[in-house]
Amino acid sequence: MKGADNQSTGRRSVLKATGAVGVTAGLGAIAGCLDDPTGDDDETDELVITQGEIIENPDPNDHITGPYFNVLDPVYEPLFNVTPEFEFEPRVVTEWEDTDDGAELTIQEGITFHNGDEMTADDVAYTFNRMIDPDEGIESDQAAGLGAIDNAEALDETTVLLEHDVAPSLAEFEYANYGRVVNQEWIEDQDQPIAGNDADAFNGTGPYEVVEYEPDVQIVLEPFDDYWGDDATLERVVFNQDGESSGRANALETGESDIVDNIIPEDVAGVDDADGVEIREETSLRNVFLVMKSGVEPFDSTEFRQAMNYAVDNQGIIEDSLGGYGEAMTQPIPDGVFGHNPDLDPYEQDLEYAEELVEESGHAGVEITLYSPEGRYLNDADVAEMAADQIDQLENVDCDFDTAPFPDISDANSAPYDDDEIPFFLIGWGVITGDSDYGLAPFFVEEAPQETLRNEDISEMILESQTIEDEDEREAQLQEINAELREEAPWVFLHSQDSVYGVRDDIGWEPRADESIYLWDIDS
Amino acid sequence: MAFGKFLLKRTLQGVLVVWGVVTVLFGLRAITPGDPVNLIVDPAVDQATRDRIREELGLDQPIYVQYADYLQDLLVGDLGYSYQSSRAVSTMVIERVPATLELAIAATIVALVIAIPLGVISGTRRNDPVDYGATSFSLVGISTPNFWLGIMLILLLSVNLDLFPTGRRPVALHDALWMFLTTFYIGDLLTWLHHIILPAVTLGTYFTALITRLTRSGMLDEYGKPYVTATEAKGIPETLVRYKHVLRNTMIPIITVLGLQLGTLIGGAVVTETVFSWPGLGLRLIGAINNLDWPLIQGIIIFVGISYVIINIAVDAIYAKLNPRVLDE
Repeated sequence: MKGADNQSTGRRSVLKATGAVGVTAGLGAIAGCLDDPTGDDDETDELVITQGEIIENPDPNDHITGPYFNVLDPVYEPLFNVTPEFEFEPRVVTEWEDTDDGAELTIQEGITFHNGDEMTADDVAYTFNRMIDPDEGIESDQAAGLGAIDNAEALDETTVLLEHDVAPSLAEFEYANYGRVVNQEWIEDQDQPIAGNDADAFNGTGPYEVVEYEPDVQIVLEPFDDYWGDDATLERVVFNQDGESSGRANALETGESDIVDNIIPEDVAGVDDADGVEIREETSLRNVFLVMKSGVEPFDSTEFRQAMNYAVDNQGIIEDSLGGYGEAMTQPIPDGVFGHNPDLDPYEQDLEYAEELVEESGHAGVEITLYSPEGRYLNDADVAEMAADQIDQLENVDCDFDTAPFPDISDANSAPYDDDEIPFFLIGWGVITGDSDYGLAPFFVEEAPQETLRNEDISEMILESQTIEDEDEREAQLQEINAELREEAPWVFLHSQDSVYGVRDDIGWEPRADESIYLWDIDS
Repeated sequence: MAFGKFLLKRTLQGVLVVWGVVTVLFGLRAITPGDPVNLIVDPAVDQATRDRIREELGLDQPIYVQYADYLQDLLVGDLGYSYQSSRAVSTMVIERVPATLELAIAATIVALVIAIPLGVISGTRRNDPVDYGATSFSLVGISTPNFWLGIMLILLLSVNLDLFPTGRRPVALHDALWMFLTTFYIGDLLTWLHHIILPAVTLGTYFTALITRLTRSGMLDEYGKPYVTATEAKGIPETLVRYKHVLRNTMIPIITVLGLQLGTLIGGAVVTETVFSWPGLGLRLIGAINNLDWPLIQGIIIFVGISYVIINIAVDAIYAKLNPRVLDE
């Protein structure tokens, strides 16, 4: 791997540096000083992964963002192995079943934390309570994904009860996606959330342990010798951070990095043409759409909202603005998520029909403004401007476009469905649990945090879906909700954007829809 | 005016400037749209939790109460906690200072090593092709934007010629030096040097051009003074006159500019650090701005402001010592 040549102590970089600074004359004299006293010189097989962001703090229970899980999962392993198809397989949890009281998880025996303490059922229960109960630990973002879990309790040495009153499959989607176990005794001595700035701020049960940590710069992992499962295959892994797409692309092309995330369309051709590296991509679960607050005119009309969908050529936007790296959306939930309805088609652009629908809505001649953040999602402002231009082509609608700071957009998203401050805006949402409920309930249940559409029937259907115990029946209900929502058109459905990676071509690894990079999936 | 009184006056003025910076920043924070709680928690988090966080952060208090609390905390060195990472802002600022200082000092060294010889040659060979070359370089150097130069250097020297890394800082200077001093291992030091060259050249180019021009014009001014003619008339060799007398006198204003520019370099490294992913204050500031992490934004700018004020007071003090007439002005 080329990345191995770029360690701080690698021979190649030393020679390159020596040549570059013009001190070759003294090379003979200092040759003895070039031997790495740690002895791990260029024999170490090192993998370097550069992401747009790494971790904000070392706490595995605090945030809910994919790039953070990529860094923390090798250290604080997930309870379950989640397959690319979103199937859950045993890992720390070996068996799980639903009882009258909730879900009972049986945990693997003989697991130790990196500090040598044995992991117990109490640690598992504490981990969940720490996230869902603010009095217990931290205000965790992951609580939003664990909404169905009310309490956790250790029943014996190896069994944990997760109390919930929703459908088993919904609870499973939640607890199987979260819950990297922390050591209760150790963590209670830390800042809350953990805010350390060196390798001692980590203590998980995963196959890798942290050997170096410089916040926002890099984190270096090496195999944990006492790991209970299969041995780690990579000798040394470096995660580092570069917020600029061009910087990540350059790091890949010069061999300083082996895998980089989020290559933007403008940089794709350059990476594809470079020697020894290639582009690999996968459609993600991140869905980009235009919210229309249904309590505000003219968006209170279903016909008008449908007209907006017929006015926009979302496939054209994907081609022109995203370089083809996206999938047209047909409903609020992207393909690959439990409850997605495969029988629905995207709205096709039809300006004449859109104009007719506007007439029917009684809002002909209306003036609206579409707002977009800039730089938050892939070419977001460009996408929104194209959509606004297409809507503006309607004879009976005047659509302006403007950008707004993301906090303004986020405020609008959290505002009630009849808030008229910014009623029409672009935003994205990742259905990260792999279950439709996380993409539907926050938007379409009455008085939910991001209420977009007030529709009593749909709200009740969603609440009902949360309690349907039969998995097939629940899936059918969610699919029906998605079909209803396509007709109700609370959003202009745009696209789910692709995750585009640059990878050294000799590395065996394929991107996943959930944007996870698991080190145990990498064959170097 | 006595020197002590002069220093006290300058210090009080500095405190006023810092207070102004703090107040303007607080005002900007107050008028910036957006609810900070939205930046701290996931959008799906319920309203009760949001309200509790707002209360814990004191954001439910009137603005003047928040301002008074902030000033009170500042007086005891408490810059608060980052919204994004929950880490102490003072720690987050201090841990990034070494990288920025390394870059600022390396850029200064690049500037001095190139600019002074170039300025001397240019000043002593007026209207010579070398002089035209140096003045052209100065003009181009002053006019070239940092971000463009950095990107061009990366494209040419890193991506195309594979001579330098694209930036980053795999090892800190103090770690590399410690390694060298304790084990005589020089590899880390060379690695650090290899990684800092392009950022230092990028950051130092404007400065190089500036010092070249200053040196050139200083040399020309000094050459026009009678003492040069007198020393030459005494038969002192031209080289000795150039370096012992003319250059030494030229260096006085250059050293003053150097002191003042160090503050500018610390504050101005933002673009260079971003282009090269150099983990200094500038890169952290950009990250904080992107996340609207106000406690961190305030902490970094206040730190840079205080550094600037201290450097200015120090330069004033040195100047007053060298030229006591300043005390009477």
